[in-house]
Amino acid sequence: MNTVTLANDSMTFPSSGTTTTSSVNKTDVDIHSVVEELKRAKQAVGKPFLDNPKFKTRDVNVYYNQTKQAIFNASLDIGRNEVIAMIGPSGCGKSTYLRCLNRMNDTIPGTKVTGDLLLDGEDIYAKDQDPVLLRARVGMVFQKPNPFPKSIYDNVAYGPRLHGLAVNRSELDDIVEQSLTKAGLFNEVKDRLNSPGTGLSGGQQQRLCIARAIAVSPEVILMDEPTSALDPIATATIEELIDELRSSFTICIVTHSMQQAARISQRTAYFHLGYVVEVNDTNTVFTNPGHRLTENYITGRFG
Amino acid sequence: MSNATAIVKAGLTKRYARERRFRLFGLVSIVISLSFLAALLITIFAQGLPALRQTYIQLPVNLDPALLAVNASDSPELLQKAKYAKAIEAALIERFPGVTDRKQKMALIRGLLSKSADNELKSQVLANPKLIGSQQNFWFLANDDIDTYIKGNIDRSLPEADRRIKDFQLAWLDDLEAKGQIEKRFNTVFFTSGDSREPEQAGVLGALMGSFYTMFVTLALSFPLAVAAAIYLEEFAPKNNPLVDFIEVNINNLAAVPSIVFGLLGLAVFIQFFGVPRSTPLVGGLVLSLQTLPIIIIAARAALKAVPPSIRQAAYGMGASRMQTVFHHTLPLAMPGILTGTILGMAHALGETAPLLMVGMVAFIMSVPEGITDPATILPVQIYLWSDSPERAFVEKTSAAIIVLLFFLILMNLLAVLLRKKFERRW
Amino acid sequence: MDIGHHTSQQYNHELEDVRNMALQMGGLVEEQLNKAMRALMESDSQLAEEVVNSDYKVNRLEVQIDEVCAKIIARRQPAASDLRLLISIIKSVTDLERMGDEAEKIARYALTSQGTSSPASLHSSLRHLGNEVRDMLRDALDTMARMDAEKAKVVGQSDERIDAEFDYLSRELLTHMMEDPRNIKQSLNTLWCARALERIGDHSRNICEYVIYLVEGKDVRHTAPKNGTIPAI
Repeated sequence: MNTVTLANDSMTFPSSGTTTTSSVNKTDVDIHSVVEELKRAKQAVGKPFLDNPKFKTRDVNVYYNQTKQAIFNASLDIGRNEVIAMIGPSGCGKSTYLRCLNRMNDTIPGTKVTGDLLLDGEDIYAKDQDPVLLRARVGMVFQKPNPFPKSIYDNVAYGPRLHGLAVNRSELDDIVEQSLTKAGLFNEVKDRLNSPGTGLSGGQQQRLCIARAIAVSPEVILMDEPTSALDPIATATIEELIDELRSSFTICIVTHSMQQAARISQRTAYFHLGYVVEVNDTNTVFTNPGHRLTENYITGRFG
Repeated sequence: MSNATAIVKAGLTKRYARERRFRLFGLVSIVISLSFLAALLITIFAQGLPALRQTYIQLPVNLDPALLAVNASDSPELLQKAKYAKAIEAALIERFPGVTDRKQKMALIRGLLSKSADNELKSQVLANPKLIGSQQNFWFLANDDIDTYIKGNIDRSLPEADRRIKDFQLAWLDDLEAKGQIEKRFNTVFFTSGDSREPEQAGVLGALMGSFYTMFVTLALSFPLAVAAAIYLEEFAPKNNPLVDFIEVNINNLAAVPSIVFGLLGLAVFIQFFGVPRSTPLVGGLVLSLQTLPIIIIAARAALKAVPPSIRQAAYGMGASRMQTVFHHTLPLAMPGILTGTILGMAHALGETAPLLMVGMVAFIMSVPEGITDPATILPVQIYLWSDSPERAFVEKTSAAIIVLLFFLILMNLLAVLLRKKFERRW
Repeated sequence: MDIGHHTSQQYNHELEDVRNMALQMGGLVEEQLNKAMRALMESDSQLAEEVVNSDYKVNRLEVQIDEVCAKIIARRQPAASDLRLLISIIKSVTDLERMGDEAEKIARYALTSQGTSSPASLHSSLRHLGNEVRDMLRDALDTMARMDAEKAKVVGQSDERIDAEFDYLSRELLTHMMEDPRNIKQSLNTLWCARALERIGDHSRNICEYVIYLVEGKDVRHTAPKNGTIPAI
C-alpha cells in the first residue's frame, strides 16, 4: 500500500482486461461528477477550523496562468505547534498550497493567489507584507536536500547573516551550534564545520537544510516531501527530528508517504484535484476517514 | 529458444557489424583531422623555429676619436651625434682590405651588417664612453640576406646571377666563418622590438603589446556588459515577453554576424561618428567587444541556466531577495562556466583580423605601443603583413609570429580548462 | 462497505480470503453449537463426543486467521476500512474461538449428564434459551457476512433477551435445587450449560459490535447504559 497512490486515478482504469469504451466514458463521467461534488461541498469534511490558529486560510484560489487553476477555495487552519500533513495524489495542489504559505509561488511568473491567508491574523499577501520578512518567519525545507555548495558553517550561518541576526562572530557561532544541535547534526559534523555541506550523506544534508531553516528562528517550517529522496534510516531520523521540533515550531509537511503522515502528524489534510477534501485528526483520518475519496486514497483504492 | 530470441539473435551480427563500422568511421575521421593539424604544426614549426636564432658577425672596431669626431669626456648629447657609421665603415674596410671595386665596397658597407649596426655601436659606447680611443671587438646583427644564407636557405650551387648572395660575398662569409667571427645566437630582437622594414630588426613585441591592449579593452568592456546582460535576461527579464524574446533572438543572431561587418560598423560609428583615434587598441577593442559580447552572453546564460533551480529555491526559502540570490549563489556557481566562455570568446577575438583591418590597425608601426591610445597593430595583422612582404627572411618571421599567436591561444584555452577544473563544484 | 477495488488485485484477494476464513470459522462454530445443543437435548453421547473432538478445528482456524492477518498488516500496512476489517476479524475470531470452547463445554455436560433427567419445564426452558442463542449467533454471523451495521445494532440488542432468559432459568434452577438437594448436581450441570449459552450470546453481541466498528468506524463497546442496550447510533 505504501507505494500505491491514486496518482493516476483520473487517467488509468482497473487492469482487469475488460476495459471497454463504455467504461472509459463511465470513468470520464465519474471524474466529472467527482469535481461537481467537490465544487458543491462548501468546506472540507472533518475539522478544518481551529480556535486561535497559527495560519488561517480561507477561500484560497491559486492560478498558474489565466487558464489553469491549481487550488480551488481551500479553507483550513493550521494550529500552533502542530505537525500538519498534506497528502493527496500528484498534482492535487498540496505542494502549491504549501508554497502559498511563504509566498514561494511569487517566484513563479504568472502565479496568482486570491483569498485570505493570515499568519497570526496578519494577511501575508497584503501589499505592505514583505516576502523576504515572511520567509524569515516561515522557513522551508525542500524535497531534494539542497545545501549551498559552501561549508557546513556557512550554510547554517547564511540566514542569520542575511537578516543580520548576529552582531559578531561568537554570536553567529552560537546560532550555528544551536541550530545544528536542534537538527541533531552537531555531534556528527562538529569536527568538520568548514568542510563542504555537499559532502554529507543525503540524510545529513537534509538535516543541514533543516538546521539552516531553523537558524533564523522561524515560527513555521514548511517541508515539501523532505524525505522522499532518503533511505528509511535517514527518513526515521528526520521524522524523529520533526517530532522534536514540534515543541518550538509549527510544521507543515507535504508527503507522498501516507505512513509518514500517519506517523508524524497530529492533523492531516487530504487534497484532491485542487480541493481540500478532508482535514481532521490524523488518527481519525487513518482509521475512519470521513470522505470516500480520502478512504480510497489512503487504502490504495481506485475511483 | 523462443521465437523472439531467435529473431534477435539473427539480427545481432548485423547490429555489431554496424557498430564496428561506425566506430571505424569515427576513428578514421579523427586520424584525418589530427594529421591535418600535425601537418600544419610541423610546417609552421619547421619554418618558424629558425627565426629564434639570428646571425651575428664579429667586427673589430677602432673607436678612434678622430673618426667619431668626439672624445670620451664629451657630454652624452655630443656622444649621441658621433659618427658611428663611419667607424663601422672603416672597420669593415679594414677587415676586408682586398675590396676595391666600388660595387663590392657598397655591398660590404650596406649588405654585410644590418642597418642598425651603427645604433648598436652607439648604445654600446653610450653605456661605456671609456671605450672611445680603443680597439674593441663587437658582435653586430648580420643583414637579412646573410642570415638567410647562414640558415641554409640560399643554395650555393645556383648560378651566381640567380642568388642574392654573390660569390665575393660568399668569400667574405667563408673567411669570417673560418675565423669564427660569424655565429648564430638567440634572437632577442624578435621579442623585444616592433615591426621593421628590415627583417633582421623586425620583432613581434609591438604586435604583442597591441594585442594585449586590444584584448584588455575588449575584456574590460565586454565582460561586465555581457555578464550583466546575461544575468538580466536569465534571472530578471519577464518570461514569454515578446520584447525579451526579440532581444534574445537578436543576441543569438549577433553571434553569427560576419566579423568584417563589425569592422565596418566600428569604422562608421566609433571612428567617424565618435572620433575615436584610428589604428589604436581602443578602437580595436571596441570593435572586438561588439563581436565578443554575444559570445559571452550566450555562454553566461548557459552557465546560469545550468545552476540547479534547487539552489535558487533554497536561497528564496531562506528569505534572500532576487539580487542576493543571484550574487550569493547563482553567479558564483555559474562563474566557471562564464569564465570559460569569456576566455574562449577572448581567444576568438585574439585571432580576429578582418574587422581590425577596417579600423586601421593594419598600419605599419615601428614603435611598441605604450597605451590604449597609441597606434598599434596586433598579432594576426602582423602575420598578415609579414606574409605579404617580399623579403625571404620574413617567411620565417611569419611562422614564428604564428607560433607566438598559437602559444597564447593555447595558453588561454589552458587557462579556461584550469579555471573550470578549479572552480567546478558539484551539487 | 467495500473490500475490493484496491489498485493491488493481490490485496483484494488477501482481504477476501481472510474474510472468508473468518466466515468459515463462524459457520463451524455455529455447527458445533447446534450439534452440542442437540446432543444435550437428545442425550446423544456420540454427537457430544463428535463436538468435543471437533473443537480443535475451530482452534486451528483461529491460529491460521491470526497468522494471515499478521501477514497482511506487516506487508500492506492497512489503513481506514481495511485496517478496521482486519481488527474486527482478529477480534471476532477470538470471540468465535471462545464460543467454540463454550459449545465444547456444553457437549461435555451432555456427556456427564447422561442418564439423568431433568424436569420437562427446565428442559424446555434450556431448549428455548439454546434456540435464542443459536438464532442470535446466526444473525450475528449474517451481519458479519453482509457487513450490515443496521442489522448488527438490532441483533446486538437480542443479547438483553438472552440475559433475561438466563436470569429466569437460573431462578427456576435455584427453586428446583431448594426443593430437593438431590437435584443440586443435576441442576448445576444445567446451570453451567445455560451459563455457556449466555456467554455465547455475549460473544455474539461482541461480534455485532465489531461489525458496527468495521462499517461505521465507531467503537460502541462498553458504551451501553446500565440496561445493556446498544445505543442507537
